[in-house]
Amino acid sequence: MAIPAIKLENVSFSYPMNDGEEQKAVNGVSLEIEEGSFVALVGHNGSGKSTLAKLLNGLLTPTAGRVLVYGADTADDKKIFEVRSSVGMVFQNPDNQMIATNVEDDIAFGPENLGVPREEIIKRVDWALEKVGMSEFRHATPFKMSGGQKQRLAIAGVLAIRPRVMVLDESTAMLDPKGREEVMNVVKQLNREEKMTVVHITHYMDEALDADRLIVMNDGKVVLDGKPSEVFAEHKLLTAIKLDVPCVTRLAVTLAEAGIAVDPRITDEEAFVDSLCRLL
Amino acid sequence: MRDVSFGQYYPTGSVIHRLDPRAKVIFSIIFMVTIFFVSSYAGYAVVALFLWSVCLISRIPLRNVLKSVKAIIFIMIFTAIINIFFYDSGKVLFEWWRIKITLGGIDFAIKMALRISLLVMGTSLLSFTTTPMELTDAIESLLSPLKLIKVPVHDIALIMSIALRFIPGLMDETDKIMMAQKARGAEIDTGGLIKKVKAMLPVLIPLFVSAIRRADELADALDARCYNATERRTKMKLLKLTWKDAVAFLFVAVFAALIFLDKYLIGGADQYIVGFFKGLFA
Amino acid sequence: MQIVVKDVNYTYSAKTPFERQALKGVNLTINEGDFLGIIGHTGSGKSTFIMHLNGLFKLQSGEIDVFDIKLVPDKKNKSDLRRLRGTVGMVFQYPEYQLFEDTVEKDVAFGPKNMGLDDAEVKRRVKRAIGLVGLDYDDIKDRAPFELSGGQKRRVAIAGIIAMQPKVLILDEPTAGLDPYGKEQILSLITHLKKECSPTVIVISHDVDEITRFASRIVVFNDGKVMFDLPMNELFRHADELHAVGLEIPKAVRIAKKLRERGVELEGDIVSLNDLLRAIVKAYNKKHIDKTVDENLSFSTFDFNADANFCAKNGEGKE
Repeated sequence: MAIPAIKLENVSFSYPMNDGEEQKAVNGVSLEIEEGSFVALVGHNGSGKSTLAKLLNGLLTPTAGRVLVYGADTADDKKIFEVRSSVGMVFQNPDNQMIATNVEDDIAFGPENLGVPREEIIKRVDWALEKVGMSEFRHATPFKMSGGQKQRLAIAGVLAIRPRVMVLDESTAMLDPKGREEVMNVVKQLNREEKMTVVHITHYMDEALDADRLIVMNDGKVVLDGKPSEVFAEHKLLTAIKLDVPCVTRLAVTLAEAGIAVDPRITDEEAFVDSLCRLL
Repeated sequence: MRDVSFGQYYPTGSVIHRLDPRAKVIFSIIFMVTIFFVSSYAGYAVVALFLWSVCLISRIPLRNVLKSVKAIIFIMIFTAIINIFFYDSGKVLFEWWRIKITLGGIDFAIKMALRISLLVMGTSLLSFTTTPMELTDAIESLLSPLKLIKVPVHDIALIMSIALRFIPGLMDETDKIMMAQKARGAEIDTGGLIKKVKAMLPVLIPLFVSAIRRADELADALDARCYNATERRTKMKLLKLTWKDAVAFLFVAVFAALIFLDKYLIGGADQYIVGFFKGLFA
Repeated sequence: MQIVVKDVNYTYSAKTPFERQALKGVNLTINEGDFLGIIGHTGSGKSTFIMHLNGLFKLQSGEIDVFDIKLVPDKKNKSDLRRLRGTVGMVFQYPEYQLFEDTVEKDVAFGPKNMGLDDAEVKRRVKRAIGLVGLDYDDIKDRAPFELSGGQKRRVAIAGIIAMQPKVLILDEPTAGLDPYGKEQILSLITHLKKECSPTVIVISHDVDEITRFASRIVVFNDGKVMFDLPMNELFRHADELHAVGLEIPKAVRIAKKLRERGVELEGDIVSLNDLLRAIVKAYNKKHIDKTVDENLSFSTFDFNADANFCAKNGEGKE
């Protein structure tokens, strides 16, 4: 039996509104995220996915239900730093999460906060920079870097805390294709080599292709949850909730619906080409 | 977009850039204090010589240092004029109604202007050779005794460094918003004061909104990275004084000694210089 | 009518340690009616270039002629500049961050008012612009821009430019940061605006797949220079060169190449996903004469995409 890194028990969260009403952003979500897994979480803007992300490391605490990180309740004030050092979080805008003007100072910020001894911090900074492939930028200032580089540094800053789970809250949304690829490569590698549990929140379906598991949110609820290929098979439902399937799947679906015998569940480009070669 | 440098930092990698920032802050304070004791033109020459040599060693172009004076030229002219009109001592050169211009007044005004501009040049050299981050580190370290009386020195330093860290971003943002509004036909740099202020609203409002959004996101990022997790915060970088700082201290000490010597022992070298020239022509 | 750019250079922070030359001798002619896509990676000079087209960057060297408004270095002519800003409409990246008025109507009116139009004309234009971007004028005019959804905000911001009725519309990364649905809405909006409002449209994008949806001509920037300036169907014959400078090629081009390498005969130039689908169906019909499949397939995601009128019908595009 795999160990759940994070467990959500019937979690709801509401934002208070100006008129005294409440707006339910997350509505009765129960989930278990397995240690070491790569989970993609998708949903259109306003589906509640970012709120869910902030619930995972106690930046927000549920208005109902509870969130357990390795058994620690995120609502427990005494355990909050235990929770936050187990669940690292990378945000959307690479410019708004850097604290220092110098790369190594910024990466050291987390462990410094935790009172890690100096020699250990230096080791962690070295290690984190190497993991994101930015060792040569140790003394640089992040200001002139590309979005992809800045976001990799943000990941390094989180790595230095030595978390077991990394949550990426739309961390690729503001990047160009090259930057997106850089970041995704780093994250996949961390998952593979360091056995890091990854929760990747995105609206690029192509980024969800390689995930172990794909969770789809709509209107504060989980509507689909399964292997990416299973989820993409529900392309009608996905379109109805303003989401899309990966490009290749969309091509296959369109051809299949027109009467050409292509498997509409294809997600892989090579497989798509293969099946067409047999038909044409 | 536009390239914005951090503060005024001008990287050349010189020995002065590599001094301990705490030493540099202390030297700057010594410099500022000393300059108020300068009593003669000869003393000002010593100050100028000192600054010039710092320029040379740090490889900061003199042009850039002089530019920093441009920013305060109005204040300088204003104080000079006030001093010329209201300082009454020495030989009267011009008198009309209540206005009296004296030799002492002119002398004082010139010295005042020299003092202000040298002061500004000195501090600008500090910011040219020290990154804002180093400065905040230095201030945090120098203020650390205050921790004993429960002053949140680290928080203050963090606030300073974050402010500094966001200045270039906000400047960049201002630029972008300004361009966007200009593209919508806004005329931002024309008209009188009230018109100008009103014309700035389309820039200021989005800028505020963006600053608040940034602050919000940054607060989350700080929390997510365990800010305030422990009282016993550690530090990766230790500031360390080296022999370089000692040599620099010697340099500053000689400079300060010259100024104090001039004021208290010689009583202003000018009189001797003037005397020397008088003797030469007598 | 044309935009002619001759030998334009631009250097940031000249004579400082941060000096960087962003444009190195750019020459380009853009014709009225062009649907131009500009691609290039970050720092290639493409953004600096388009800022020159409506005078937001002072020309340092070279010459620009925009529909007979001539720009040369060191010339200050306010009336020219004002005319230029009315001719070239510029939608910046994340344009919703420029909204500042307390109601949508006032914000959209900002541009036309600055042009010195009378109140009746301003109102007429605002109403039209809000309708053009697919929002319901009566429903939205008095709402505060800050309480709208991300996609709506962006459309209000675009309406603010459209209301100036520019002859040339420039959009810098118009879909950046939006979710797939918001993206599709903006993409079909752009095609619609070209038809209804600004006959010449220039779009900057990182996403080549997006650009293949509409542009007819593509300019590639690299290292401050124009690397390619070609009709869409010709550009992607240079896939290797594009790849070498870190640019992607459209998925349709890549898949078509793979199919052809495997011996599948596909007719015509394939650039967009629609081209690909139609070519596949054609090849299929040739081989399976017994069952003919409709050749007019389209790669559509959301319903409004096929319905090009979505923008014209007020309120239809509401979220």
